[in-house]
Parts: sequence; C-alpha cells; structure tokens
Amino acid sequence: MAPDSAGSGPTLGQRIAMNAAAVYARGSVRVKASFRERSWLVGETLFPFLAMSAFVLVYRGLHAPREYEGFVVLGGAMIAYWNNVIWGMASQFFWEREQGQLQLYLITPVSRMSILLGMALGGIAMTTTRAAAILIGGVLLFHVDLPLSRALPAFGLFVLTLGAAYSLGMILSSLFLLWGREVWHTATILQEPIYLFSGFYFPVSAMGVVIAIAGSLLPVTLGLDGIRQVFYGPAAHGLLPLRWIPPIQIALTTLFLYIAHVALRFMEDLGKHEGRLTVRGD
Amino acid sequence: MRRLVQILSSSAWLGWQVEANWADPVLFLVYAIAKPLATTLILFFMVKVVSQGHATAETFRFIFIGNTFFLYVTEVLIGISWTVFRDREDYETLKYIYVAPIRLLPYLLGRAFTRVATATVGVLVALLFGRLVLGLTIGVPGTEWLLVLAAVALGLVGVLWLGIILAGTSLVVARHSMNLNEGLSGLFFLLCGAVFPLDVLPRWARAISLALPFTYWLELLRRMLTGHGFAKSLAAMSDGDLWRVLGIATLGLCLAAFLWFGWCERFARERGLIDWKTNY
Repeated sequence: MAPDSAGSGPTLGQRIAMNAAAVYARGSVRVKASFRERSWLVGETLFPFLAMSAFVLVYRGLHAPREYEGFVVLGGAMIAYWNNVIWGMASQFFWEREQGQLQLYLITPVSRMSILLGMALGGIAMTTTRAAAILIGGVLLFHVDLPLSRALPAFGLFVLTLGAAYSLGMILSSLFLLWGREVWHTATILQEPIYLFSGFYFPVSAMGVVIAIAGSLLPVTLGLDGIRQVFYGPAAHGLLPLRWIPPIQIALTTLFLYIAHVALRFMEDLGKHEGRLTVRGD
Repeated sequence: MRRLVQILSSSAWLGWQVEANWADPVLFLVYAIAKPLATTLILFFMVKVVSQGHATAETFRFIFIGNTFFLYVTEVLIGISWTVFRDREDYETLKYIYVAPIRLLPYLLGRAFTRVATATVGVLVALLFGRLVLGLTIGVPGTEWLLVLAAVALGLVGVLWLGIILAGTSLVVARHSMNLNEGLSGLFFLLCGAVFPLDVLPRWARAISLALPFTYWLELLRRMLTGHGFAKSLAAMSDGDLWRVLGIATLGLCLAAFLWFGWCERFARERGLIDWKTNY
C-alpha cells in the first residue's frame, strides 16, 4: 500500500486497513491449509477422540455418574483448542523461521500482533471443526448429556476462554521465537501436564484448592470449570463461583495481550541483536 | 555379529544425541518423566473423584499398571517411524545412511534405543511414584521378578517390530501421515484396555481388542504384579496361554516387519523417495 501524498507514511485508516488485511491473510491461509490436507483433518480429529474415548471408558469402568463422561467430552473438545494454542500459536514462529518466512513477516509494515491475531482466528476456525467432531461424536457415541437449554451461556464463557487462551498463546509465541529444537520438547511438555493441572478429564477442584487455583492461571482451567458448572450445576464440583469466572477471563485476556505485545517486541529486538531470527536447522 | 553391534551402538549414540542434547541431563530427565507422571495423576484423580463407594484402590492398581507399561507403546512405536521423517526431511540425512556401509533396518533399531531408554526411565519413575507416593503395592509375595522382566522384554520386542512396520510405511508416505501413526497408538490405547477393563467395550470393539497382542501383554503383566486378572474376557486363559499368544504374536510381527519393511524400502528406492521432502 502506497504512503500518502505528503510522504509521511500511511494514515491511520491505511494502517488499520493493512493490519486488517494481514489478519485476514494469515487467518485464511491457516483455514485453507487445514482443509487442503485431509489426513490432518482425520488425524487431528481422530487422535484426540480416541484418547477422549479411553477416558470416558475409564469412568464407565468405574461406574461413575454419567455427568463425569460429559466432563471428559467437554475436556476433549477443549484439548483440541489447547493443542492448537501450543502447536499452532506458541511454536508457529519457530516453524516460520525454519521455513525461512519469519523475516518476511518482520519486513512487512504491519503489527506482529495482527499476524498473531490472524493465526489465532484461523486456528480457532480450524480447531472448531475438530472440536465439534469430538463433541458430536462424544454425544452420539457415548450418549453424553449436554443440556441444549444451557448452551448459550456456556458458549459465551467458551468465547471468553478462547480469547484468554489464545492471548496466552501470543505470549508463548514470543518466548518460543528464539528457541531451537527445545521448542518441540517444550510444546510436548505443555500437553499431558497441562491436561492434569487444567482438569481436562476431572473436576479441577479434586486436586485441592491451592493446586487448582495455581492451575487456574491457565484460562482453559477456569473456562472448562465454568462451562461444566453451566451444564451440570453443583455436580460439576466447581472451583470458583460461576459469576466470578467471566470477569476473570476478561482480565486475563487484557493482561495477556499487554504482556504479549511487550514480550514480542523485546524478543524480536533480542533476536536481532543475537542474530537468531534467521537461524535454521537449529 | 560384531558389525551389527557396531551399527546398533553407533545409531543408538546418534539417537541419544538427537533426542537428548538439546538440554542438560536433569532437564531431559524431567522431560522424560513428565508425561507418565502426569497421566498417572490424571487417572489417580479420576478414580478419586468417583471413589465414593464405587472405585477401589485395587481398580486403580490395575489402571495404573496398564497405563504405566503402555508408555512403551506410545514412545517406541511413534519414535521409530518419526525417525524416518526427521532424518529424511528435517536433517536430510537419510540418503547418507544409504551411502554408508550399513543397512537401514539395524540403524533404525539402534535409533529406537533412546526411546526405549526414556520410556524405561518413565516406567520406573512411575512405578516408584505409585509405590512411594500413591502407596500402591506393586507385586505380590509370589511375583517372580525375572519373569516380569522377561514379559516386559517380550512385549517390548513386539512393539519394536510393529514400530519397524510403521517405519517402513513412513518411507513411502508423506510426512503429514505421521498423524496416522499417532492415531494408531491412540487406537491401541483405547482397544488394549490399558486404562479400563475390556468388558466395558462394545462387543465388536472387544473382538478387535482380542486380536491385539498388547491386550494379552498388559493382562499378563497385571496378573504377575497383582496376583489376579483384570479382564473378564481373558479369565478363561491361563498365564501359559497368555505367554503363548504373546510369543506367537511377537514372532508374527517380526516376520511381517522383515517382509513389509523390505518391500517398502525397495519401493522407496525405486520411486526416489529416500530424499523426498514433503514438509509444508
């Protein structure tokens, strides 16, 4: 996009238009790519579904009340988003660097946050197809009861949770920016241990208040806890009163976005000084 | 034989460098044990939340043993096939294996060593954690520990050969098919009754489960470590029957692995797939 006639750089309107275009471009690439490769679609849906099914059957084997199977199905859907935050947001700049595209992002006249926002929105769109398949599969195959009359407030809380979770992904993205092979391992280590501390398969309150509150620093923990409370009421063994959770998620989103903005600039400067933004095969 | 040992040890050393030299040993150890401990605790809390009158410590012991030893399947099975993709596409070194005076099959078995080692550490730490922190009894007065080791080793050999079958497949498919290998591991986790009794599976799924060697492997280990069986579907089988099924299945997997891997290797060379790059 050309600068204005005075040659003093783009106007505010032009900057907004450029950044909106960047958000759309990055988001649409992600959506198109995810549907182009069918085996990803199968793998990303089937793999978490199988694990989720195993945990549903654990409860069935224990003769647990049926709502516990619902906890697992909701957790299984949320895991799809968390994995996307880890592999599709946090480690994305690492992949981009490996493929030689990171420097292209850095020379464009748009905010890095716009690129990350595009990644997040594209990732959410892509993951929603996986999560929906898990949810629908869980309901149909295991006859899990998800009262539709409570779907709207649950959806509202879900949207707030995604906002906070993907904002956290933006922070992690800047942290992962300069790493080499340890990205793989760090991303891996952010899976099962997080499934534990976020209570993806059981009410997080079962771990005790102190650990559960610590786990609640991750937005998915409180979000999932709240969504279960919406659907199952007191049977969800909620950690915090439901009315506290939406303002906490909004506060976390604001805080995480600010930290992401600062961290991204800092890590980019550091990468430039250390000459690590174009290192490949590390 | 000496040459084979040389190849195995060299590729094991290479595998160790690739897998472990990104971190200091303590950090690597934390990484190796984080997954098994987290999964153990997930199951522990799942049992705990429904323990009011239903689940017992004994049930958790069965779940714990199945989940702990299944770690070999996830780590080794995926690890071997992943080596093909990493060497072929990330490091672009697979073609150099072919210009070296070694065969690919022993090289891959050697590369699996690190995965076997990390899985073993994970299993041992999980067992210790179960014993010391969760207060589980691992083994009964009559447990013959050498036989337990033999059973673990036999199951592991089966996992290795199945890993070679997947590695052969990986030679002829694009990198993104890795998802399918991971899915296979998930399928085994579900169908082998690693964390629940087989009897809760629908009848059709139970039939598939009974065709998988790992189902018998986990049942055998449970019987050895707890003194009695877990799956009602296998109650009619004696320990000897389980050994026999496991032994025959391992031999079958070995034969299938040699034939399938040989075919895949020839196909990959004929089609020029050894230095294929499919990452995007």
